[in-house]
Amino acid sequence: MNQFTKKTNPSEDGAGTGRTQTPWVAGLIFKMALIMSIIFTAFYARVHLNDKTEQLAREANEIRKQIEEKQKEIKMKEFELAQLKSWDNINAKIRQHKLALHAVNPSQVRYMKRFEGQTAAPSVYGGDTRVADTAAGSKQTSAGEIQ
Amino acid sequence: MTLFRSMAIRMALVYILLIFGFGYVSSVLYSVQISRHDELFEKAQNTYTTRIETHGTRGEIFDFGGSLLVGNIPTMDIIGDPANIYILNKKDDAKTETECRLIADFFEKECENVKSDEIFRRLSRRTVTTTTADGEKKEQDCHYAVIATGVEYKTAKMLKEKVKELSFHGISFTSSYRRKYPKDAMLANILGLTNVSYDTFVPIQGIERSLNDAMTATSGSMVYERARNGSHVTFANSKSEPTLDGYDIFLTIREPLQAIVEEELDLMCERVKPHAAWAVLVDPSTGDILAAAQRPTFNPNDRSTMTAESSANRLSELALEPGSIMKPFVISYALDKGFVTPNSIVDCEQGVWKYAGRLLHDTHNVGKVPVTEVIKQSSNIGTAKVSVMMGAKNLDTALRSFGFGQKTGIQLKPETSGIFRPLEKWDSLSVSRFCIGQGIAVSPLQLARAYCMIANGGYKVNLRLVDRIERGDDVRVMPVVKEQKSIFANPTTKKMITDMMIGVTEAGGTCTEAAIEGFHVAGKTGTAQKVINGAYSNRYYASFVGFVPAEDPKFVLLVTCDDPTLGSRYGGSASGPTFKAIAERTLKYMHVQPQLSREEWLAERSAAQKALHERKVREDALVQARREERDRQLKAQKAKETAKKSGTTVASRPASNSKTSTIRR
Repeated sequence: MNQFTKKTNPSEDGAGTGRTQTPWVAGLIFKMALIMSIIFTAFYARVHLNDKTEQLAREANEIRKQIEEKQKEIKMKEFELAQLKSWDNINAKIRQHKLALHAVNPSQVRYMKRFEGQTAAPSVYGGDTRVADTAAGSKQTSAGEIQ
Repeated sequence: MTLFRSMAIRMALVYILLIFGFGYVSSVLYSVQISRHDELFEKAQNTYTTRIETHGTRGEIFDFGGSLLVGNIPTMDIIGDPANIYILNKKDDAKTETECRLIADFFEKECENVKSDEIFRRLSRRTVTTTTADGEKKEQDCHYAVIATGVEYKTAKMLKEKVKELSFHGISFTSSYRRKYPKDAMLANILGLTNVSYDTFVPIQGIERSLNDAMTATSGSMVYERARNGSHVTFANSKSEPTLDGYDIFLTIREPLQAIVEEELDLMCERVKPHAAWAVLVDPSTGDILAAAQRPTFNPNDRSTMTAESSANRLSELALEPGSIMKPFVISYALDKGFVTPNSIVDCEQGVWKYAGRLLHDTHNVGKVPVTEVIKQSSNIGTAKVSVMMGAKNLDTALRSFGFGQKTGIQLKPETSGIFRPLEKWDSLSVSRFCIGQGIAVSPLQLARAYCMIANGGYKVNLRLVDRIERGDDVRVMPVVKEQKSIFANPTTKKMITDMMIGVTEAGGTCTEAAIEGFHVAGKTGTAQKVINGAYSNRYYASFVGFVPAEDPKFVLLVTCDDPTLGSRYGGSASGPTFKAIAERTLKYMHVQPQLSREEWLAERSAAQKALHERKVREDALVQARREERDRQLKAQKAKETAKKSGTTVASRPASNSKTSTIRR
């Protein structure tokens, strides 16, 4: 008789007594505990993750609000800049400080060659240096450099 | 047995009750889960989901170089919740009135245009009566009272801090945007303006209206499940539609040039005190409007300056009789088709000519002159004679080929196409009047475009005011619309008409005031009587239009004074100096090198002066010779009569032909 046959014999194992049922109950409890702990861990992990997500969302919201605030401030600054750059304002400053400014004589101006064979006449002076492709959007060349 | 039966009955009753109960529950379940599923699901969803609308910002307007012309500035609206207003930490109805008064006084002190009594009245109204759909009147708590709108962002931020410090409860600050014009009145009539209605911009006129669709932002929305405190449950389902800002508009306007034109126009208004005035600067090769100013104008930031007169956009909406500035179109067509050459002699009838039963006058007496002089001296009779020679059909073709009677293609609405009758509706006088700018009405923009065609060699080009529209990486450039074929069949036509127009600003021309040192200026004056109540009046449109440098024009400039009341009423004197001032500054700004040195230019001027002097001497001599001839004829006639009486015959010498002598000269 081998060990296995011996163990399966109820009389030898003490079947019918409380002592022989303990490993089976313990196994069940262990299994249930394991399942419960897995469920609990999963549940806890989910709750924790949600909490974390919420926290991050709140932080993101805060940052978004700050960005919006900054964007508003930038808008205000842009507007102020546009006001400061207006000719009325510049003219008033020239008068206020009695600056003896006069327009540049065209003979004082020279254009640099920007690329091979291309004179960069700034488009704002009337020459059109734009590279436009209306079908697929466009790219704008920057104003030419002036010596 | 009896016990058993009664038990059986009871059991049956219980079964029946259970069956009915089960049936009822089943029917309710059916109703809830199947019949009313959608309705109840929506109801449930509404309790835990929120839908918020997100609004983008309206597109802004910039000049060609990206300088802001119309922008959105952040503002805040201050809103009160009358049902929940209190100060410090608890709500006390007894103190409510005092607290509302304190809050109202606070806002009157801190905000502009806010009246304490008005705020107090609004905040004190704690309930509102509403009428339900079935007509029942109901008292409800009032949660909305406007305290101030459009408060500047900086001020609002400071106020928010103060409100927090003072523990005012029931006051909220909501973000909004406001349309602002950093350059005030600059380009106001073209840019237009908007009103605000329920957080929506309503365009009134100008670019704001014409390009409203492109500038309008697309609203988005977000539907999300909310927590008990109303916050967004990020791990739950949410759905969002993106918000799109409006396109930013980049005009062809160059702000520095615009500033020059506006400044010079103001100086002109001081000098001649006109009823109105305008100037437009155009690049003839692309049709780009570089600057466009008009007076009177208004400040869109201050609506009190806005009247029907000051807000009108005369450049595209006004149709006026242009007067003599129409002449170069007729003459250039006649030159191109070979009806005349610059040296063809035209008899200008010494200032008075009768055609189709009506007299036509010149402002100064001109005799027999070449076509060049007709333009230089702006002879109505000379031009009318060329026009009559061409015939009505050719005149109609000429004027239509320059774009009269058609819109200019500018992205500005409304735009007039002027008044130009179809050929079949012309009368016998039309051919002699349309050519000198009478009986035809054109807009200033049509005139500017027609001169662009002369300046660029006859290529019809649409005017452009919008260069491109942009939204992030999405850039759309408005193409230049230019016809590939010139209206001039003869390649020398442009040079011939330009040379004639250069004469206008040289000695003997009608506008020497527009001459610019170092440059040849090609231009034309126009002094047109205004039509008031269907009749010509003593009021005038005084215009000057031209292009510089004449040989390679960088721009076309039109300056018009509507009814100058101080000084001369002629186009040359009223608008010429302003043309010169603007053109000179523009050339410097564009860094255009002078064509001639000072010495060469002065030499040319003095040569022209000398030629003019010689011509005058010749003309005086001619007049003197004619006078002598007439005297001789009279003497001979008298002698003949005397001889007849005395019976003797005197052989009279034949009179020389004045026409022949003119040609010889």
